[in-house]
Amino acid sequence: MPLNIDWQQILLHMFNLVLLFGILYVLLYKPVHDFMEKREKEYEKRDADTKNALSDAEKLKAEYEAKIAEAEKENALVRAEISAKAEADRERIISDAHESAAKIVEDAGEKARMEHDRLMARARTEIAEYASKAAEKIVMKEGSLTDDFDTFFESVKDQKDNGNG
Amino acid sequence: MDKKKRTRFLIVIAIILAALLVGVFLTADPLKEEEPIRIVMKDAVLHEEAQVNFLGIRPVNPAVISAYTVTAIIFVFALFTRLFVIPKFKHNPGRFQLLCEQAVGLFDGLATSNSPHRHNFLGAYVFTAGTYIFIGTMFELLGVMAPTTAGGHIALPAPLADINGAISMGVFSYCVILSGGIAGNKVKGVLNTLKDFSLPISMSFRLFGALLSGALVTELVYYYITTSFVIPVFVAVMFTMLHALIQAYVLTMLTALFYGEVSETHTEASSEEQ
Repeated sequence: MPLNIDWQQILLHMFNLVLLFGILYVLLYKPVHDFMEKREKEYEKRDADTKNALSDAEKLKAEYEAKIAEAEKENALVRAEISAKAEADRERIISDAHESAAKIVEDAGEKARMEHDRLMARARTEIAEYASKAAEKIVMKEGSLTDDFDTFFESVKDQKDNGNG
Repeated sequence: MDKKKRTRFLIVIAIILAALLVGVFLTADPLKEEEPIRIVMKDAVLHEEAQVNFLGIRPVNPAVISAYTVTAIIFVFALFTRLFVIPKFKHNPGRFQLLCEQAVGLFDGLATSNSPHRHNFLGAYVFTAGTYIFIGTMFELLGVMAPTTAGGHIALPAPLADINGAISMGVFSYCVILSGGIAGNKVKGVLNTLKDFSLPISMSFRLFGALLSGALVTELVYYYITTSFVIPVFVAVMFTMLHALIQAYVLTMLTALFYGEVSETHTEASSEEQ
């Protein structure tokens, strides 16, 4: 054969190549490839798990945010109700206070009037008594009439001051 | 090191080098018939004279011995890795694990990008082919000697610097492409593959030519004693290491590309779009 081409040697080389292919595939390529593939799948799984966890967390966050918004809304309603009720209570208390105050003033006026009437009645009685006593003294002793009148008016004045005070 | 010591060191080195050079020239056998350069180069290409006995069965080109030696080296390495390293693989890889993962990932990525629809077998094949071409070519640098049938010794060349080795690699790659065509498109896939009938020839001779050029230049450099110093370092780097990388990439790339092309399933819709 030209160029020293030898079919037997070509077959020997091919046999060697097939042998080498088997050796490298079984001992090196497949185990390393499998290891790399397994690691890649593991990392992909981890990645997917992380993404799922993240997605779940996002969902939970959204749920909680919705709940918080709802609670805030409810809170605002309750606050408004409480505020309205408090306002009504305030109005009622003020109104009651006004009524009570008016009643107290009225009662006090009534009481003062009654006291005034009582005092006037008493004074009238006392004046009558004093007048009676004065007349009696005049009748009994004419000379001291002027002094008696002075004493009488002073005592009336004192009583008046004491009653007002 | 002070100046005096350095000068003394350089003088000693110069004397040793001069003595070795004198020894090289004095030990040359004047009675030995020197093989003409033409015969040396022809033998490097064709291996008609310097053949090696293969297991006592028959004389073969030294590249056959190289091929089996490389396979044995790879087998020992792979077995050691499988038994002692791979079981200890961690999620955060160390240096060696990273190297293994990079090698597998590189060829797997090449197969996946060129043939996304069918790439499991292709990935394993291009990994094998790339490893074999790279380590096989680098093996040449070791300069392992083997006894020839003529009674002399020969440094084992790269397995693919032999025409038979290169043809087997090209044909094997073509068969892999053909298998992709059959798996993907049945009879149509076979026809698609056979359409590129020149592929095994081009792949074989590209490999053979590229690797042989390195071997020939190295042979030429070593033939003359005056070019046997310093120059082989650069020649070895240029023609062995670069070829090892480039040819491993080219063959695996081409195989993956053609495999992807012939194994791609063509639907009617995609045909109409085209």
